[in-house]
Amino acid sequence: MTASVNRSARRRTSIAALVILVVLLAFTVRLFDIQVVRADEHIEDSMEVANYVESATLPGVRGSIVDDEGQVLASSSVRYDVAIDPALADDVKRYDDAGDPYVETWGRLAERIGEVVGMSGEDVEKVASDAVASNPDARWAQLKKGLTTEQYRALLDLDAPMLSFEQQKSRTYPNGAVAGNLVGFMSSDDEPLAGYEMLENACLAETDGKIEYQRSGDAGVRIPGTTTETPAEDGGTLQLTIDTDLSWYLLQMLKEEVETQQAKAGSIMVADVETGEIKAAVDYPTLDPNDYQATDSEYLGAPSLTRSFEPGSTFKAITAATVLDQGAATPLTQITASGHEQFPNGAVVGDSFSHPSYNYTLAGALIDSSNVALSKIGELVSDDTRYEYLKKFGVGEKTPIDFSGEPSGVVHDPDTWDNQTHYATTFGQAFTVTMQQVVSAYQTLANGGVREPVHIVDGCTSADGKTTKAELPDAERVISEEAAQQTVEILENVANEGAVSDMIQVPGYRLAIKTGTAQKTDGNGNYKAGLYFTSLIGIAPADDPQYVVMVSLDEPRRVTSSAATAPAFQKAMTQVLKTYRVTPSEEPYEPLPKFTD
Amino acid sequence: MSTIADTELIPFDEPAPRPSREDRGLRAVPAPQRRRRPRLAYALTAIAGAALIAAAQLGLSILTAQSSYELAAVQSEQRQLTLDKQQLTDEVAGLSSPQYLAANASALGMVIDSSPSYLRLSDAKITGSGEPASDQSTVNVGSGSAAANALIADTPLVTDEDATVQESSTEEAAVPETVRNAPPLEGGLPSPETH
Repeated sequence: MTASVNRSARRRTSIAALVILVVLLAFTVRLFDIQVVRADEHIEDSMEVANYVESATLPGVRGSIVDDEGQVLASSSVRYDVAIDPALADDVKRYDDAGDPYVETWGRLAERIGEVVGMSGEDVEKVASDAVASNPDARWAQLKKGLTTEQYRALLDLDAPMLSFEQQKSRTYPNGAVAGNLVGFMSSDDEPLAGYEMLENACLAETDGKIEYQRSGDAGVRIPGTTTETPAEDGGTLQLTIDTDLSWYLLQMLKEEVETQQAKAGSIMVADVETGEIKAAVDYPTLDPNDYQATDSEYLGAPSLTRSFEPGSTFKAITAATVLDQGAATPLTQITASGHEQFPNGAVVGDSFSHPSYNYTLAGALIDSSNVALSKIGELVSDDTRYEYLKKFGVGEKTPIDFSGEPSGVVHDPDTWDNQTHYATTFGQAFTVTMQQVVSAYQTLANGGVREPVHIVDGCTSADGKTTKAELPDAERVISEEAAQQTVEILENVANEGAVSDMIQVPGYRLAIKTGTAQKTDGNGNYKAGLYFTSLIGIAPADDPQYVVMVSLDEPRRVTSSAATAPAFQKAMTQVLKTYRVTPSEEPYEPLPKFTD
Repeated sequence: MSTIADTELIPFDEPAPRPSREDRGLRAVPAPQRRRRPRLAYALTAIAGAALIAAAQLGLSILTAQSSYELAAVQSEQRQLTLDKQQLTDEVAGLSSPQYLAANASALGMVIDSSPSYLRLSDAKITGSGEPASDQSTVNVGSGSAAANALIADTPLVTDEDATVQESSTEEAAVPETVRNAPPLEGGLPSPETH
């Protein structure tokens, strides 16, 4: 009797234990499932469902663009977009200082909002009513974009419940149009559209971060320990080689010269001979990046870097350097030339002024810029050699500046040169170059025959302070030092005895210059009559070359020849020498004979 | 039945004699001892400990909550200061630009001279143009700035509050028709007589 009772009791206990065990096991499995297997899913779910989880973007700051002295050319700023909730666009109940309620009408509030954003009260009301008219359930209507911080705070102070704000990144260009052609600009949607803003976006661009946290119902205080943060990464600082103050002067002066000479446009470029740094690349007309939409789209770029043209006489110096480097001539080699000649192959070449047969020296041929004489000088070496030198001087290849839209220029293979081209290439026609290519070629001459890569970007300093220098090709010897010096000496004779010598002198300094007048195509395969692309390039001081300055005017009408550029060049060179405190020349200039007899 | 009858009866063992009462070791249960009074100290310690822990936790959480509010206040202050900074940056943007500086200098009657002369200290030699500075500016800032700048388009000049970078107020009147010459100096700069 007792034994059976015991047995049944034990059996019941075991069954109960088993049931408990099974239930416990089930719980354990479920717990494991919840806590481990589907943990991520549940966390995500909770993040979505629970509205007390807040997240915010931590905006990164786009890097600045600075000039050679660290002066800021472009920096980041903040603008605000304001929108109206039409459903809330109604009278607002307020309490005065005494605590008594009063009603501020929507009309009155709209008036005050309008005052801040620069609209009339009716217009503000219209934005809201239009939105409702097109969609009765509208809860959002854009009122105004791009408000300043001051306007934003004024609107906050109005305590208008129908307004909502959105912070926008924006760019400020403190110097306006000074170097604006190079710096470029960004769209209102923060997209880089032009210039170095676009080209060097990789250096400047920022990465936004994110912060997530839970917050209390009251006052939105962050609950400690719930914050997860991915920090924002700021963009790097882009250093250019540009000199802002010099660029301003050149721009102001260029404007006055363009207007005086009644030209369509003008450009000035300044390069440091020793380093190849471009200190200024100025265009007029130009744009103010702060308000680029106000500028004609024709002038939104940097024509100084993107225009290609036939250089004309400025490349006579390259022909001279070629024959000097080849040992085919000396500065005093005699060339007999008349004002107009027909060559045995049938080609006809004429000078810009008529003259009888002169016994020029090589130097004299450049002083008078005689096309006929240069045609004969070019024949002292083969077409292939001249082609090779043009290539070595950088024609037909983009410069290391590699600006957006920079052309490479075109020089055809000598096999395809016809009878006229055979001669035209000696005086800068039948091939095209960019302004920076001409400047680079003269930098090579000024630097004893060694080309330093011309460049505008100096480097990029990342937000953590690491500086990366711009990648540039190595310096390269193009011609011998002697040939380069002789060429500069010839150009100094041009500066002192050439057609514009009286107009370009900088007292106390020895200069070496060459003018150039390029004919312009009229778009129908002919040259425009009486309208030229004129240029003047010079090196100073001639006895110790430090700077190359090139000025060009597009279609000047007051004086149509390259003499139009002379006053601008004189002022530009003076300012460059003054800016960089270049010591005046000590040794006197020694003229070379112009004629052999 | 017979089988049963035939079955030899197995005799029982002699029953073992019951142990005597004494051997069985039975004795009266001793009277229960008086329950010892629990020590109050332990209880107090435990309760105090628990209370302390609770208090400490409460205190800590009050402190963290408090500092959260402080943090929120400081963050709000930081936002205000960021707005202040933005506003001030907007205000001064463009004031350092060369065109603004030049327009201000021009309004004062300053000019940009052409070539300068240099005085070399070692031998007192003058190099450069060697001419006195002229009163002609090589650029005419007053006739209109080439470098447009929307940031300062409406900002009055510091040196001439009626003018902006683009528009000078009184072009010619800035410099009076007759400028008095500085009095000639004899015997160096005049110095105040002091006793």
